[in-house]
Amino acid sequence: MEILVNLWTGFVAISAFTPILMIFIGVLIGILVGVLPGLSPSIGVALLLPATYNLDPVSALVLLVSVYLSSNYGGSITAIAINTPGTPGAVATTFDGYELTKKGKPGLALGTSLVSSTIGGLIGTIILIAFSIPLAKVALNFESYEYFSLGIFGLTIISSLAGDNPLKGFIASVLGLLLVTIGFDTQLPFSRFTLGIPELSDGIEFIPALIGLFALGEIFYSIENFSILKKEHKARKKYSAKLPPFKKFWSFKKVILKSSILGTIIGSIPGAGGTIATFIAYNSAKNSSKNPEDFGKGSLEGVAAPESANNGSVGGALIPLLTLGIPGSASTAVLLGALMIHKLNPGPELFTKQPDIVYGIFISLILANIVMFFFGMIGNRFWVKIIAAPKSLVYPIIIALSFIGSYFIENSMFDVGVCLAFGILAWLLKRANFPTAPVVLGLILGKMIEENLRLSLVKGSFTEFFTRPISLLLLILSLLSFFSPYIKKYLSNRAE
Amino acid sequence: MKFFKSINIITLLIILAYMSLLFHIYINPEMSSVYPSRPVVIIVHSKPGSGVDLMARKISDIIRKKNYSTVPFVIENRSGTQGVVAMQYVLDKEPDGYTMLAVTKSFLSTLMVNKSRVSIEDFKFISAMLFDPEAIIVNKNTTLKNLKDIIMDAKKKNGEQVWIGPGTGGRDHLMAIKTWEKLGIKAKWIDYKTGPQSVLALMRNEASVYVGNPIDIRGKENLKIIAIAAPDRLQNLPDIKTFKELGYELNEYMWRGLAFRKEVDPEIIKYMNKVLTKVSRDPEWLKYNEEVFALPIYMETKKISRLIQDEIVETNIYLKKAKLLKEYIKKAPLAIWLAGIIIFLSLLLLTLIAVKFNIRKINQDMLMSMLFIWLALFFFYQTTQFSIPSDLNITDPAFVPFLWITLLILLSIILFIKALNRPYNKKINGSGNIKSVLLIIILLILYFFLIIWIGYFIATVLLIAAIMNILNYRIIPMILISSMGFVIFSYVIFELLLKIKLPVGRLLS
Repeated sequence: MEILVNLWTGFVAISAFTPILMIFIGVLIGILVGVLPGLSPSIGVALLLPATYNLDPVSALVLLVSVYLSSNYGGSITAIAINTPGTPGAVATTFDGYELTKKGKPGLALGTSLVSSTIGGLIGTIILIAFSIPLAKVALNFESYEYFSLGIFGLTIISSLAGDNPLKGFIASVLGLLLVTIGFDTQLPFSRFTLGIPELSDGIEFIPALIGLFALGEIFYSIENFSILKKEHKARKKYSAKLPPFKKFWSFKKVILKSSILGTIIGSIPGAGGTIATFIAYNSAKNSSKNPEDFGKGSLEGVAAPESANNGSVGGALIPLLTLGIPGSASTAVLLGALMIHKLNPGPELFTKQPDIVYGIFISLILANIVMFFFGMIGNRFWVKIIAAPKSLVYPIIIALSFIGSYFIENSMFDVGVCLAFGILAWLLKRANFPTAPVVLGLILGKMIEENLRLSLVKGSFTEFFTRPISLLLLILSLLSFFSPYIKKYLSNRAE
Repeated sequence: MKFFKSINIITLLIILAYMSLLFHIYINPEMSSVYPSRPVVIIVHSKPGSGVDLMARKISDIIRKKNYSTVPFVIENRSGTQGVVAMQYVLDKEPDGYTMLAVTKSFLSTLMVNKSRVSIEDFKFISAMLFDPEAIIVNKNTTLKNLKDIIMDAKKKNGEQVWIGPGTGGRDHLMAIKTWEKLGIKAKWIDYKTGPQSVLALMRNEASVYVGNPIDIRGKENLKIIAIAAPDRLQNLPDIKTFKELGYELNEYMWRGLAFRKEVDPEIIKYMNKVLTKVSRDPEWLKYNEEVFALPIYMETKKISRLIQDEIVETNIYLKKAKLLKEYIKKAPLAIWLAGIIIFLSLLLLTLIAVKFNIRKINQDMLMSMLFIWLALFFFYQTTQFSIPSDLNITDPAFVPFLWITLLILLSIILFIKALNRPYNKKINGSGNIKSVLLIIILLILYFFLIIWIGYFIATVLLIAAIMNILNYRIIPMILISSMGFVIFSYVIFELLLKIKLPVGRLLS
């Protein structure tokens, strides 16, 4: 009952002109932030932070969480339209989303992404409202051993990502893991493998590398096959903006539900984050799907799973922030700053002393999801038009956008070079039939694996990876996830 | 004639808009010579919401509200490499007094340890604004209730008591070493990378003591400050004792302040000192200091510079005690680098030749696996150059890279053998338009340098038009609209809305 009273307090707190306006503005800006490569959710939230100084605390936080939420959706739009994840969390969406676009059905992918993002966001918020205290305990119990095992679990997804050539997938992922060791050592104050280049002393900037691997790599590859592409384009002049029918969504309700919950839980673990959640959700959807062979070839489930996990992770990431005052991700670190600026101390006290703010955030998240859905519906028609424009007109613009996006992050020309280098790398990999997604997975997980492995070895001993229950469970899951594609193949071969 | 006919009104408008944009960017009105005549930028080395960031924003806020300066002070965050990115950024700017750096004491040890090109001598410190005392913090749910308990426990554990905090060789780490020395105990330092991760670890009882600042316990009920390393108790935390009261002469704090490049005119520094003195006496500033548990001690240029001289000496001593003032990487002989690069280039050339002429006996898999093996060996060679003292409480920095190197070599060898057994590629991927791709790549490299020399606004129009040409797109009005339109769009989004300065080019600025 108390929770209903609190929710009502929250509802009252935000039912004023300014907070509602902030939701609309926040969602709109958030989608734009997501769409532009280079602007990740955390950068978007950070950029808007100064604009909130003169707002009241509720409106300020409502604006920032709306941006955070909807930028996670916005990233999927470019992932689907041009194979460029607008945010790191949208990498897994490219696997099937862009395939659908290539088949002339971007409407299906965009619609699925929007619906599953919205549902994922709502489920994440509901879990945040109802279970934040017990989930915070889970998060609190994650030590370096568990983080390491989670990282290993994330890596095993390659066996199902790599498709018909797992060896090349593994090589690509090890390449990512090795490249991410460049830069500041995790325990001693010195930089490894920098060749004396000062810009590398903090490692390769992730987002330019990501943009290069996906946007530039794809463009180089398709320009090489331009004559073929042109024919295809002519044959399918009409890109369909048609949304999937409702029945279709109902058929994968389980995938969306499961992925949203997974996203929320993994999102609630500080430092793990939404991006890892999207990969794990994608993998688990593939493993439990009736048509796993469609994954990577334009499966709607393959779009729904990462997108619902990604937006579910927003609610999750707010759990440690609000209950423990611990930011779990780059975006929530900025939100913590916003709380501090408005003199709010996150923690259990905040829930009891200022329920209007905490529950105001909760209610605004629900509203922001709904607003996001409507803006998304309007936007989808527009995106399909852009997709239908001739490639020779769109490609140069995407290249220029990739460069300015890379430049923007640190105001650095070096990052523009990183983007180009990774673009060339992706092109070489693609034309030799190597998948590029595992490189990204390696780049994402490498730091987490190394940092926590080494921290664990300093703290304790190797055996603790196997004696701690959550860590052991994750390692067993890793084994299962790693071998499941092969076991399945073996079983189906035997059945035949 | 045909060209002019094809240009319609929209195209004309876009061209006009683009021209006026160029005019606006390159032809600046006479700048006023009186300082300050435009906004002063404060560069912050950490993300929004961090301690320094909040301080810088408060200063800018007070200056704006009370009109202490005729121009606004704006904050720009440039994070990375513990502040070196921000420092380098300030050093790259003109010493005209319009770019300031928010500094903290942690920069001293960072610069000593990091061995970057930046040195503390490159800066002129304007003032220290506040002093944030270091504190030792424990979890309430343990048997450690006071300083005596910690000392007893440490002696019992004989060097195995765990102290944690963010960073190795950072301020908190040095505070730990200093404290051990004063208390006469031995303990183990574990670096948890960030403040929040360290606090989480303390909440989980993974460590006995967390070294941080009083503000870290805000909102966290189960944490307790044992003592602060300040001369007096904090007004806002009257119950918390100082080390001095407990019988140990131990003062350690993180001061935060502002600095310029050292070449900045002394008159400008005088002006800034005046503005900041006013800020330091402002009631709002004093209240802010109370809120963040800091001491509002103001030190002007001379005083802070003297303090820094002393602190450099002290920091040096403690870094030596922590065995952190070493070269961890040996300089490799030039010949080895050259050999590595030559091998790489020849492999790349071989790949391109094979690609170009479709030499099927050398298939791509073989070449790619060779490239990967080269890369792995290149990394391996660098790990052999690490020289890590063996008595530090860490795992070898080469350990994890070595794991990936071994894996990469093994997998690449398997790929190579598989490729040997399959000399003819059944289907060669993308046997099409390699020339266009290579042309575009060369164009992009050219574009990279053009941005640096003639600036983003002109180079980008050229780039977009050129790529469209390569892709056989020849509708001139559309080329003009999209290339110039994109530049105008990016100017609005990035410069006007996001306040990012796009490069204007060295030749034209």
